[in-house]
Amino acid sequence: MSRMSARFCGSADHPVSRRGFLGTAAAVGAGAFAADMTVLNLLKDPALAGELKKQQKRVILLWLAGGASQLETWDPKPGRPTGGPFRAIKTNVPGVDIGELLPKLAQRMHTTALIRSLNTRNADHGSAAELMHMGRRKEGGVDFPDLCAICARELARADSQVPDYVSMYTATEGRRWGKGFSGFLGARHAPMFLSESMIPENIRRLESISDVDHQAREDLRGLLARRFSRERGSQAVASQNSAYQRVRGLMASERLFDVAQEPATMRAQYGPTQFGEQCLVARRLVEAGVPFVKVGRAWWDSHGQNFETHRELCADLDHVMSALIDDLQDRGLLEHTLLITLGEFGRTPKINASLGRDHFASAWSCSLTGCGIRGGTAFGASDADGQTVADGEIGAGDLFATIFSALGIDPHTEYYVGARPIPITDFGSQPVKDVLA
Amino acid sequence: MTAPDPATLKLKAEFPAREIAFCAARVPQSSRLLYGSSDFHVYEIDLESEKPESLAFSGEPHQSYVTGLAVAAGHAVSGSYDGRLIWWNVESRERVRDIAAHDRWIRRVASSPDGRLIASIADDMLCKLWDAATGELIRTLADHEPLTPHHYPSMLYAVAFSSDGKLLATGDKVGHVAVWDAATGEKVGAVEAPVMYTWDPKQRRHSIGGIRSLAFSPDSERLAVGGIGQIGNIDHLGGPSRVEIFTWRDGRRLHEIEDENFKGLVQQLEFHESGGWLLAAGGDNNGFVTFYDPETGKLLHQEKAPMHVHAFVLADDSAALWTIGHEKIAVWSLGASLAESK
Repeated sequence: MSRMSARFCGSADHPVSRRGFLGTAAAVGAGAFAADMTVLNLLKDPALAGELKKQQKRVILLWLAGGASQLETWDPKPGRPTGGPFRAIKTNVPGVDIGELLPKLAQRMHTTALIRSLNTRNADHGSAAELMHMGRRKEGGVDFPDLCAICARELARADSQVPDYVSMYTATEGRRWGKGFSGFLGARHAPMFLSESMIPENIRRLESISDVDHQAREDLRGLLARRFSRERGSQAVASQNSAYQRVRGLMASERLFDVAQEPATMRAQYGPTQFGEQCLVARRLVEAGVPFVKVGRAWWDSHGQNFETHRELCADLDHVMSALIDDLQDRGLLEHTLLITLGEFGRTPKINASLGRDHFASAWSCSLTGCGIRGGTAFGASDADGQTVADGEIGAGDLFATIFSALGIDPHTEYYVGARPIPITDFGSQPVKDVLA
Repeated sequence: MTAPDPATLKLKAEFPAREIAFCAARVPQSSRLLYGSSDFHVYEIDLESEKPESLAFSGEPHQSYVTGLAVAAGHAVSGSYDGRLIWWNVESRERVRDIAAHDRWIRRVASSPDGRLIASIADDMLCKLWDAATGELIRTLADHEPLTPHHYPSMLYAVAFSSDGKLLATGDKVGHVAVWDAATGEKVGAVEAPVMYTWDPKQRRHSIGGIRSLAFSPDSERLAVGGIGQIGNIDHLGGPSRVEIFTWRDGRRLHEIEDENFKGLVQQLEFHESGGWLLAAGGDNNGFVTFYDPETGKLLHQEKAPMHVHAFVLADDSAALWTIGHEKIAVWSLGASLAESK
């Protein structure tokens, strides 16, 4: 697999020399069929990829697994038969109202763009989660990476000593769909997955091995790996090697996952819930240079008692996400960190007999905050009852193109799997320029 | 009065309700049913008229779901998720008084048997007692924790007066019940029903359930508590409907009754004035009406309701039962007394 960026964003914030561009493009052409991560890393060094990586851009994805209701969050319909009991409240952006369960986020709407016109046409948990991770439908014969792995690949430095992609998902429901996957990008960009504990398992050196022994074993492994690669080079081997080479750095990153390292006041700011602690860890990770962190918050699948469930989960989301925005802002990180709320779908406008809402993908919402985003915008609209998209319909591919664009990643970038070019966004996808800074 | 035989319960008629009907009250000595709806309005429907039709009370309605309704001192008093209590003239159906009563969503409204007091409960976790005639706040009762043990907002769902009006009980999401002296506001007892609250720490990491209904026995010594049992999959109301009966003075649980045949929440409970049975109604996607023997805890009779039942009203002579709920109103008859049928 190799990479070619068809275009660069052209922003004055990340200039690229024409010579650098042409040189890199030529190298891509030469190496397009070389399925070797060594070639890939050479490609990264000079201009295109390197320039982006210098900007230290980061992503935190709050994965609202199970499907949060757009009507109780970003797209309220008060007074309509489908609207439910909650009011809409004013935000600090005139003309943009959100659900009353998010009062703290309402006061931070100037940092956030809403998209209220997702029509993703898939209301099945498993395949919808796949769609909203890949930005496209699954295709036979291609093992696509998810959004997180692509961002990690594009934003991570080759010499990074921290993980590229950390995924937290502690609930068991929906975990198999929320874990994340690096597909053809290989093990180097696979998620460090935390499910049972916020401290990565098996990250510590065994007490029975001294540090000197550990280093010696790594040296021996490296020697054998290089010899093996020379004789039987392949993408898989290169990918595994790349991952192994970073082991000692990853081992040293254990403290990043420990919220006890934070002052009590900071922990209090995020609150006592597990989601709060996970988001504090996410901030610690992005601050240390981890390019992509996913925090899975399950489980929003409120077929019964939708309003009670959202009263509970929205209180958590409102408090924790507000704390995270403030913290990133205070540290000067928000400008470089894109904070996303997204799930596999939204929930039906129709309220069922259990006062629940069911799966719904025809007109739902997500939010984008921080890096590259024009805060205070609300793009698209659903109809009066939230049944269909009335304006600005977009699909998963368009959302991904928007996310990539906000991060300065050319959404038309292509990877090569063998001789086959694979664009990182689905064919025909376009970014939503209205929400981009 | 002898209790009618539950086995004689028969569904007589169904009528459409305006959207979701959450709460009901009856104009005394009449066939006029009042109900509060998800369309923010209060309606009246005369169930013995030739063509029963829902007529909205006039004037500015609530701004959210109407979840509590009681009739007292010639008024209907409605409570809503908008935090307001509205007094309505029952005869003219006009708005009389509007009070900003709570900071959070009002869940239920109850009237004392003598019609002098209105009790409102809300998610500010307070119970407030009001003068039914003047709307004056008499006192505020506070005993329920604002947060669950898992740090999420709690809810105060249930309230009931005893039949002599001397006691009041309030029940919350985590299964705590406080019993109050209605005249002084003193807390005189408490019972715990923690099984009503399901916290899922592993699969879905949130909670469901809570105490949804309360009823004192005619002698005020026992307290029935309704809700739902532990739920495996909290995406749905898939747990057994559950009733617990306590002697509230010592907090002793006499009966734990779970029904797997008709799942869901027990939304309302009422003892027959003779103490002959305890009536429970509620549901999940479907609905039920169930009679229990309060002495033994045994099921006497049950019927599937045509909708999830949010509330019911019994006729003065218990010969008729009106249930309201998801988009429907159902009229039931009750025939021969228990004594006669035995």
